[in-house]
Amino acid sequence: MLNNIARIKSHIKPAKIIIACLILLTVLSLSSIYSSLHQAGQLQEQEIFYKEIMWVVISWIILILFYLLNYRIYFDFAYVLYAINICLLIAVDLFGRSALGAQRWLSIGGFNFQPSELSKIITIFFLARIFSSQTDKGFLKGVLLPFFVLMINVLLIVKQPDLGTALVLVFLFFLMGLASGNKKRYFMAIIIAAIVFSPFAWNHLKDYQKKRLIVFLNPNAEPLGAGYTIIQSKIAIGSGKFLGKGFLSGTQNQFNFLPERHTDFIFTVIAEEWGFAGATMLLLIYLLVINNILAVARYQKDNFAQLLLIGMASLFFIHVFINIGMTLGILPVVGIPLLFISYGGTHLLVSFMLLGIFFNIYRHD
Amino acid sequence: MSSSKDSFIIFLKRICVTSFIILCVSLFYYQIIKGNYYLIRGKNNYVRVIPERSIRGKILDRNGIILAYDKPSFNIAVIPYQIKNKKDGVFAELADFSGLKIKTLNRNYNRKFQNFFTPVDIITDVDKKEAFRIKEEFKGEVLIDPQPQRHYDYPYEMSHLLGYVKEAAAFSERLKKYGYSPNERIGISGIEQYYDDYLRGEDGGDLIEVNSRGRIVGFLGKRNPIRGKDIYLTIDSKMQQTAYQAILDKKGALIFMDSKNGEVLALVSYPSFDPNSFVKGKDEITKFLNDKNKPMQNRAIQSIFPLGSTFKPVVAIAGLEENKLKTSTTFICKGKLNIGKAEFECENVHNDENLQEALTHSCNVYFYNAGMALGRQIMASYAEKLGLNTTTGIDLPYEKKGTIPVPSLRLRSRWYLGDTLNFSIGQGYTECSPIEIMLATNIFASGGILVKPHLIKKIDNLEIATPYGNKLNISNQNLTIVKNGLVQVVESDEGTARMLRPLNLSIAGKTGTAQTSGRPHGWFVGFFPANAPKYTICVFLENGGSSYEALKVAYYFLEKLKEQQLL
Repeated sequence: MLNNIARIKSHIKPAKIIIACLILLTVLSLSSIYSSLHQAGQLQEQEIFYKEIMWVVISWIILILFYLLNYRIYFDFAYVLYAINICLLIAVDLFGRSALGAQRWLSIGGFNFQPSELSKIITIFFLARIFSSQTDKGFLKGVLLPFFVLMINVLLIVKQPDLGTALVLVFLFFLMGLASGNKKRYFMAIIIAAIVFSPFAWNHLKDYQKKRLIVFLNPNAEPLGAGYTIIQSKIAIGSGKFLGKGFLSGTQNQFNFLPERHTDFIFTVIAEEWGFAGATMLLLIYLLVINNILAVARYQKDNFAQLLLIGMASLFFIHVFINIGMTLGILPVVGIPLLFISYGGTHLLVSFMLLGIFFNIYRHD
Repeated sequence: MSSSKDSFIIFLKRICVTSFIILCVSLFYYQIIKGNYYLIRGKNNYVRVIPERSIRGKILDRNGIILAYDKPSFNIAVIPYQIKNKKDGVFAELADFSGLKIKTLNRNYNRKFQNFFTPVDIITDVDKKEAFRIKEEFKGEVLIDPQPQRHYDYPYEMSHLLGYVKEAAAFSERLKKYGYSPNERIGISGIEQYYDDYLRGEDGGDLIEVNSRGRIVGFLGKRNPIRGKDIYLTIDSKMQQTAYQAILDKKGALIFMDSKNGEVLALVSYPSFDPNSFVKGKDEITKFLNDKNKPMQNRAIQSIFPLGSTFKPVVAIAGLEENKLKTSTTFICKGKLNIGKAEFECENVHNDENLQEALTHSCNVYFYNAGMALGRQIMASYAEKLGLNTTTGIDLPYEKKGTIPVPSLRLRSRWYLGDTLNFSIGQGYTECSPIEIMLATNIFASGGILVKPHLIKKIDNLEIATPYGNKLNISNQNLTIVKNGLVQVVESDEGTARMLRPLNLSIAGKTGTAQTSGRPHGWFVGFFPANAPKYTICVFLENGGSSYEALKVAYYFLEKLKEQQLL
């Protein structure tokens, strides 16, 4: 009896916590985007805000749909989806719409969406399948082959150019690969090879990407260019102090100092308006989500499901850490969104899809 | 196996917690420890970019005389953030004080507003004294914003050649992808447009911190503007001015060029306009734009006209090359030629005419016969060969190519024999720009080379190589035969351009009076000295009446050049 209750309790807990976190994140996201668009006492570019509300609604519907869909289907279709994903990326290369110097969008029926965001979720399926279904764990078939197949995807994304997403995918490879029980030295071998080839890769970066990396190493190198953003970002965050300036009162954001503040730099809005308290609360929410996913993963018997969960937890973690790290100037500005918070439809959709899958796995457990 | 995964999950959890602790520690450092520092920087101090315009490169003539340059002009600017609550009041007082309309100030403000912290020029181009007077009166509210302004020392003389510059604001969206910023100046028409990439340089600016009163309290960084490159032209400004004097008050164009290498020494089109008024945005602009004489049009390269008799040397060389004409071939001119019921006229009754005489007298009947012998296709192919159906590639924008009735041309109706006759004397469908016929005629001066006309001589200190001309496959012997004919046009007592003989320049050339609706166009194309040509000239007068008027312009121009010892 007591045992039963404990089991039910442990069953309900992670799901409830994550739902609660999701609601909090959604509210925080909409209010921050609203605030970031607020300038000189007026809401500028209202349509952006309404569009985001629509995306949120769609995302919640998607969450329910994915919750209802048996996750084993991803196992069956992992390779097919991966092939489609590559085709989409090639399509972006050929017909994509460009914004801010990068070609990342495909326009379908009036909506612009980014295949590179979609490729994150598909890569998780792909890696989960390849790492869960292999029995022979040699270096060539177990690690190197998946790595090369993944690199097709990564290189297409680098070409767009979307350095942030490409980096995320590489991190996913290492984290999920290590999780699957492959030998650590196999991955070390790849890392060493990558370091040897890095000068070659440097020559293939776009000028603005090189600039960003240089600025990361020395923010004062170019105060009018990319360094400007980091200086402004730090002023915004720092001036929030402990409790923040309050909703719609962040002067740094209100006065148009920060470019892209409703997308990649949305964290500065939160840190300025809600202070250290708000910012750490946000971190805590993320940590709760990640920890609860990992907690469910830990007792998961299906190898594939387990790797899916580890993959999504890793994805959330990498995104949050890199994004916040870059606004604080401790990581380079690579241009990836703050999941669940930043403006933008595709990444929101992808995050909710992943959580839908989480709930489905959780139900089957 | 599952225990290895288990341990990895624990490992991953630790990484997450550690990383988030790192983030919290950084947040703690920025928000709690340095919070006051950043709050002060954020609250009372504003970071602002003050753009500093690059100086646009100068345009100079071949002797280093400055034709276009940047000079400082003084603008009165406001910072929107400073006046945000009292804008209307400030504008009213400013309007009162400066004598401008409030409407003008508001219009400038709305058009140039970028963000709350970048100064907006609301009064432009005031003299230094006035600028300081206004600054004195409105200390806190305005600032003096000195900006480089383009100035042209020879406005009307050089306008078509140089073009002008304008702030890119109006078409900034379109230009953004080429790296232009919203308020950057961009070259429009002429050299300013063609060589904009060299002339424009790169804007820089200061990154400063100001307090809420607009006072500078910190300096964060600077990017020096990069000066644009100077462009040296092949133009001789004295020749250019003389050319302008020569054509003054006569609608048309005059081009003067080095026969051998295609360096353009003078190129004028009349009527002209004042580029300075475009730079300053004055009301005269509409006057220029609406004038029905089209002063903005560069008639030397952007308009095409019937060629008239200046086309005859082309027919002559075609006939010789195709063996349809010989020096001894004669046709009898009775002052007209009857084809069926139609009558095709000549200026005079010339009786027996050989090729040289026909050129000398500009005898239509001779060329009617030559044209019939050659046919439309061969004449068209020679006209094409001599570049009359293509642009010359001169380094100026919007050059227009001529029309030649090549077989692929869509005609208004079917081709009659009469069309062939008209074609052979440069009428009918044949229309070319002055520079095209000038180059075609120049082959008799350059020994069969279709030179490439150009205006660029040097970019900063870098000499630009002379572009290669195109050596046409035409025999020297035939070229000499036609050239001798062209010499007689001036030297013979019966030559149509004999009035140029007193200049003693040994000119060879061809006149033309082209029929058109309205008064005929006047043409003269020639080169000198005939035995070793150095210069080629083309005078075109739109509805000038006759070639005689064009000859008068040429005479005046060359005589003045001689007087100034420029030849």
